[in-house]
Amino acid sequence: MKKIISAILTGAMAISLVACGSTDTAAPADTAAPADAAATEAPATDASTGTIDLTMWCIATESDSNRHSYEAAIADVTAAHPEINFQWEAIENQAYKTKIKAAVAADEMPDIFFTWSCAFLGDFVDAGRVYCLDEEYKNFSSELPEVMLGNTTYDGKHYGVPLTMNIVGLFANMDILSEAGYDEVPGTYEEFIACCDKLKANGVIPFGCAGKETWCVTEYLESVIEKSAGADVLNDIFLGRATWANDDVKGAVDTFQELVGNGYFDPNGIALTNDEVKANFMAGKYAFYMNGTWNCADFAAQEGLNVKVSEFPVINADKSKLGELIGGPSDTLAVAASSPNAAVAAQFTFELGKEICHYGYLDGCGLPAWTPYYDTSSINPLTNTVSDICANASTYVLFGDTAMSADDATIYLSYVDQVYGCMIDGQGFVDGLAADIR
Amino acid sequence: MKKKKLYTAINVTAFLLPALLLFVGVLIFPIIMSGVYSLYDWNGIGAKEFILFDNYKELFTSKNLRFMKALVNSLLLAFFSVFIQLPISLGLALTLGKGRKGERFFLSVFFAPVLISTVVIGQLWLKMYNPDYGIINMAIRLITGNPDFGPIWLGDPKLALGAAFVPILWQYVGYHMLLMYAGVKSVPVELREAAMLDGASQGQVNRYVVIPCMKGILKVSVIFAVTGSLKSFDLIYVLTNGGPFKATEVPSIIMIRELFIGGKYGMGSTIAVMLIVLCFAFALIINRIFKQED
Amino acid sequence: MDTTNSIKKSSKVGNYVVYAILIIWVLVNLFPVYWMFTFSLKDNAEIFGENVVGLPTKWLWSNYVKALNSGDMGRYFVNSIIVSVSTIVITIAAAFMATFAMTRIYWKGRDTMYKFFMLGLTIPIHASIVPIYITLSKVKMLNSYQALIVPYAAFSLAMAILIASGFMNEIPKELDEAARIDGCGIWKTFFYVIVPLMKPAVSTIGIYTFLQCWNELMFASVFNSGDKFKTLPAGVQEMSGRYTTEWGPIGAALVIATFPTLIVYIFLSKKIQSSFIAGAVKG
Repeated sequence: MKKIISAILTGAMAISLVACGSTDTAAPADTAAPADAAATEAPATDASTGTIDLTMWCIATESDSNRHSYEAAIADVTAAHPEINFQWEAIENQAYKTKIKAAVAADEMPDIFFTWSCAFLGDFVDAGRVYCLDEEYKNFSSELPEVMLGNTTYDGKHYGVPLTMNIVGLFANMDILSEAGYDEVPGTYEEFIACCDKLKANGVIPFGCAGKETWCVTEYLESVIEKSAGADVLNDIFLGRATWANDDVKGAVDTFQELVGNGYFDPNGIALTNDEVKANFMAGKYAFYMNGTWNCADFAAQEGLNVKVSEFPVINADKSKLGELIGGPSDTLAVAASSPNAAVAAQFTFELGKEICHYGYLDGCGLPAWTPYYDTSSINPLTNTVSDICANASTYVLFGDTAMSADDATIYLSYVDQVYGCMIDGQGFVDGLAADIR
Repeated sequence: MKKKKLYTAINVTAFLLPALLLFVGVLIFPIIMSGVYSLYDWNGIGAKEFILFDNYKELFTSKNLRFMKALVNSLLLAFFSVFIQLPISLGLALTLGKGRKGERFFLSVFFAPVLISTVVIGQLWLKMYNPDYGIINMAIRLITGNPDFGPIWLGDPKLALGAAFVPILWQYVGYHMLLMYAGVKSVPVELREAAMLDGASQGQVNRYVVIPCMKGILKVSVIFAVTGSLKSFDLIYVLTNGGPFKATEVPSIIMIRELFIGGKYGMGSTIAVMLIVLCFAFALIINRIFKQED
Repeated sequence: MDTTNSIKKSSKVGNYVVYAILIIWVLVNLFPVYWMFTFSLKDNAEIFGENVVGLPTKWLWSNYVKALNSGDMGRYFVNSIIVSVSTIVITIAAAFMATFAMTRIYWKGRDTMYKFFMLGLTIPIHASIVPIYITLSKVKMLNSYQALIVPYAAFSLAMAILIASGFMNEIPKELDEAARIDGCGIWKTFFYVIVPLMKPAVSTIGIYTFLQCWNELMFASVFNSGDKFKTLPAGVQEMSGRYTTEWGPIGAALVIATFPTLIVYIFLSKKIQSSFIAGAVKG
């Protein structure tokens, strides 16, 4: 127990170093005003005023690992608040990004919405569309360490309720590995490559990656870049403090393309969605699957599936080391400034976020951002391994498309896509990004 | 006299009002606004920055947007549409139009795909193209006897564009066929019989009598096929969403991505304006070509 | 006489070839629909290998229950009908009135006005997405039926006017004269003389408009993000995002989205085709 908390705190400290200071434009004043106004009438939970309608959008669709934790948490929190008429809707990840952005532009947001931290939420905060949670946070500060809010704090104000934190993990199907003569995931890059070759010779595809969703490619590419160029370099680039024109990054992209060129990736994956690729991995089609550690829940729950999770091996030991991870607290709930019951929604969101975190952690959907107050002995071994990895972490780099503004992220993803398709090489990648992202 | 004029003016206005309101308010005015937005750098929520034609410059030069590639893709589609889809439609219309057994049945079946929602057709073909379990690869494996063979239709940059075009072309064969069938039927029977009596073969009758008579309809079909290709969206969006590696991108796919994922309203509007300009230009060119033929 | 005989003979062989081609094309059109129907009733094991093209061994109606309950296809279907029917009604009303003003009343500039409306034929519906979206959001009309009905009607208008003017020009002008002599004003002439004679145009415009709005995906998915007012194309698209790995329920959703229209079409195919053809001829 102690170990886990310390793991999380170390993680959080590291994350707070990275926290997005990039949105330094002053938060618009109009968000503060309704906040105050709403706060005075906050105890509107008076039964005589009737029920309050709250709506929420999130990405916990039926096939999402977090589905159960949302359902359980919503059941608990709505039962405790009979005065609130709560409606929620889950939208598939890729479609959701479009939908929430369109809704923010139109100021047609639901009261509560799921968001990724850092720049993704930052764009909305800049536009004055997000309710400031400072007032309500006071009631929860003992359960939710402030360091966990680093990625959702803009100009010293808190705008998001973190749920779980996740890193990119290298998932390995141990049954397939043992057929190739491995009972552990190889620890060094050379051994790892040798292992991939052996798997290929055995007729097994090493990696599954969904080409239809570019964020899945970044899970691989960012890990390769980080383990080649170092976490600090990548952080500086993602946050706009350094240029993309970097020889180590260029080399790392070439390394990644070697993996593609060697035929380690399933060619069918290019036309598949992440759900389909994940299902393939669980059906034993691939040896490895690099993706977020929220998958631990599904992999642990699948009977007859023997999966281990580990860190991607270090490629260049001079620049990087184990303990440099991709990830951080990103899954967040936020409240719309336009909500007529923003204060009530904020209180509700904190309670909901705490419960989603609770069930999500127990299910294995990630590490908790909130301090656990419950028995954690039933946590699955995969998630516990992730805790161990995080306990030894030195630096975190947040997912690139979350760390960058929407504008830059689309450019970035478009270049990542071209790298995966081998349309451009490392040089083309760094040159293009250095020119197109200012 | 003056009174009558005023009376007419009032009536004309009243009769035109609903249509004009709709047409100007929802079509003409927004398009002018698109033109205005295209001169700005604007993310939809923040402040607008006036940048004149920078969006247009970026559109044609950016390596990242690859608009020219998308444009070429949609022109390719237009080409296939005119030189493969329309000839099939014309052939069907001519054979059915001269009257044969089962005419009604064939017409009905061939027109049916037009009534199926495009998204349904897209989803259906997505399943048919599935590399592992799709009916197309299963059939190929059965025929070739090779259980491992089967292209990744929508995942191979070399195949995806062609694979995405097939359902697009297939769905609207029936639409054009029925338009042309109407054209064939409008040719007076006497004309056809007179030609036959003069010893013309069926092919000659079609070539020299029927087709010249249906020029008007052919023109409409060509215009619809070309402008339809330029603005194609639904099926590509469902099948590949522009992938793999941008191989199947068309202008409207880039437009939607720039608008609602990148949040670039200025650039999105620029693409919208380009689409209108292109559709108009092609409609005019096709009109001109058909006029010259006369 | 001899030559005609040999022509007849060779044309007999040709006839068989033609029929063979026609039947192949029938199969190309019907097979996807058949395959969709059968896999909507199967589970993955059957679809993926055990029984690819045959009829389902166990008819899994539960796929339909899934599509209707968690996929909400029933509601999307009703929404699509509401949107289509309203669009058709508005389009026809506006088009009839405008066409009347441009073909039956004499005033300067009526030809220019007609050409102005014809601009709409080539304008792609997507081109106005941003301003319409911003306007709809400003007047808080996103997520409603109107958000789709109004733009659809506007974009169907050009075609509707084109067809309506074809029909209206065929109504003899003498009828107007006669009506005027009987003391009818312009409005009475329109409602009691012209509109009743325009009945065939109603079904023709209805079909063209229906084809345009029944299929439309871009506006449908952007303007109506909430579940409540979503139409079939957007609903099917979202449903398939939810069940990527389970094909049965997706198949069921596709069938629900398709078969009602196809069944109506089977009964009314003659009428639908002749109306469609009328549009082509009159336009």
